[in-house]
Amino acid sequence: MTPDLSVEVGGLKLRGPVLAASGTFGYGTEVPLLERRALAGMVSKGIFLKPRAGTAPSRIVETPSGMLNAIGLQGPGVDALIRDYAPKWEAWDFPVLVNINGESASEYGEVAARLDGVPGVAGFEINISCPNVEQGGMYFGNDPRAAAAVTEAVRRRTKLPVWVKLTPMVSDIGVIARAVEGAGADALSAVNTFVGMSMDLHAYQPRLSFRTGGLSGPAIRPLAVHLAHQAARAVDIPVVGVGGIMRAEDALEFLVAGCRAVQVGTATFVNPNAIADVHDGIAEFMARKGFASLDELPRYLPRD
Amino acid sequence: MFLTDAPLVERRQVARDMWVLGFAAPDIAASVKAGQFVNIGMRPGPLLRRPFSVYRAGDDRIEVLLKAVGVGTAQMLAMREGDVASCLGPLGRGFDLTLSAKTVSLVSGGLGVAPMPLAARDARAAGLQVTWVHGARTADELCSETEGDEVILATDDGSAGFAGTVVAAAPDADLVLACGPNRMLAAAAQRWPQAQVAVETYMGCGTGVCLGCAVPLTRGGYDRACTEGPVYVASDVDWPALPSHLSYAVSA
Ligand SMILES: Cc1cc2nc3c(=O)[nH]c(=O)nc-3n(C[C@H](O)[C@H](O)[C@H](O)COP(=O)(O)O)c2cc1C
Ligand code: FES
Repeated sequence: MTPDLSVEVGGLKLRGPVLAASGTFGYGTEVPLLERRALAGMVSKGIFLKPRAGTAPSRIVETPSGMLNAIGLQGPGVDALIRDYAPKWEAWDFPVLVNINGESASEYGEVAARLDGVPGVAGFEINISCPNVEQGGMYFGNDPRAAAAVTEAVRRRTKLPVWVKLTPMVSDIGVIARAVEGAGADALSAVNTFVGMSMDLHAYQPRLSFRTGGLSGPAIRPLAVHLAHQAARAVDIPVVGVGGIMRAEDALEFLVAGCRAVQVGTATFVNPNAIADVHDGIAEFMARKGFASLDELPRYLPRD
Repeated sequence: MFLTDAPLVERRQVARDMWVLGFAAPDIAASVKAGQFVNIGMRPGPLLRRPFSVYRAGDDRIEVLLKAVGVGTAQMLAMREGDVASCLGPLGRGFDLTLSAKTVSLVSGGLGVAPMPLAARDARAAGLQVTWVHGARTADELCSETEGDEVILATDDGSAGFAGTVVAAAPDADLVLACGPNRMLAAAAQRWPQAQVAVETYMGCGTGVCLGCAVPLTRGGYDRACTEGPVYVASDVDWPALPSHLSYAVSA
């Protein structure tokens, strides 16, 4: 018997629990060789209202079991996204959420309003957690009032599902999680990258031109599992776990920790078929353990 | 584009600290063009794959050139025949040899020799007269496998061939293809704005997804070394904004 892996997350019915994480799947047209039958959904690369050039190179560097990136949300802007990508998404058999960004709450709202109703756009993931921009990003994500204001600004402009991507760079993620839940979020994505730094011992300066970057990959997995778990305990809306998932077992850790679904990011760079491998591994685990659907998977979510 | 677990079938030394590794990868070997690369991953090994220009291809195998600069390359050099590495490729846009020309200069500095044997092969197939100018810091760092209608060697210390840079040593030609440290390519761009140069950047994915391999352009903005590159018309690159030195933290 093939287990039922479908889930419902924040207003979206998904055929499985594994989505592609923002910034690691482009606009969905770039990743080669992925068996897309397993892809439950994708979150597009972060977009602003206007085109952005991104940061100067070097933009990435590998670190032990991980990588630092400072891409700086390079992107073509909302109009080009609507023109060039949304028509393609409309034909796909999985939903596409757009990762939206802004330098002010009203810019986030404006981006959502422009995209609302565009065929191919199934929902939004509000990025209040990018560490690689001078304005906005993470700075909204570590203040509960600013986080709620951004969420509200988007909520007011759309009826589509609104997910909020949380930053790990906070002392209590539960406070932020509750604030955005109160402001109308349908789901949370936890977490974005951790801020890190690496020094070049030849040039005596940071390896990244932005000085700091966002750490992703297996190096952050236990930290991300913990934060996703804390967020899941704090709210009633679903939490989507993100951070360092390379294999099915990693994804299952997030699910057992209380997440409804997961996103796979950096792993796709290493293994273009990572999402399908994770999906298939979860199915295999469920069959082996005799679970007919993900509802039957035991969760560790003590309420205190 | 193909993803394959490729067994090691060949290893030979071509200069001090410089090695050629051959992998059985028939699909990639049959389709790769000069200047394209493969992204090679090791399990266990560093997290990210590493880009390597394809050095030679044919007989169901591809060859890459490397130097032990970090744990990743050291691990590759420690492979034994039959051990497998994961190869993703061919990737990127290679040299354009369809332009009308009679002569070509291949200009390579150090490890920049990597795409040149394939470039020489494709240039000869296109009926071009090939001059290969190859340089290194010192004689024993020169790759021993240069070939062509004419071969010119150069060393910084004068221990072999022309004493000075490859850019100074090279003759003009209808086409100039160059690869080497970004500093050398910037010098090539001064002399031959129309040269086709293969740049080096850090890469995350190698397939156009992560935007980590940004190359600054003279017309403004960035594009992706792994997709629009790694070969550029020299005058299109904003050389001062392209890092001239890459230092791999955990490996190279
Ligand atoms: C190169 C790169 C670009 C990213 N761009 C974005 C982005 O535009 N918006 C966003 O919300 N997260 C972005 N992220 C964060 C990922 O979506 C994810 O939260 C993070 O990488 C942790 O997951 P992972 O370890 O599976 O990669 C990016 C990550 C990487 C590595
Ligand atoms: S290496 Fe990822 S886009 Fe070029």
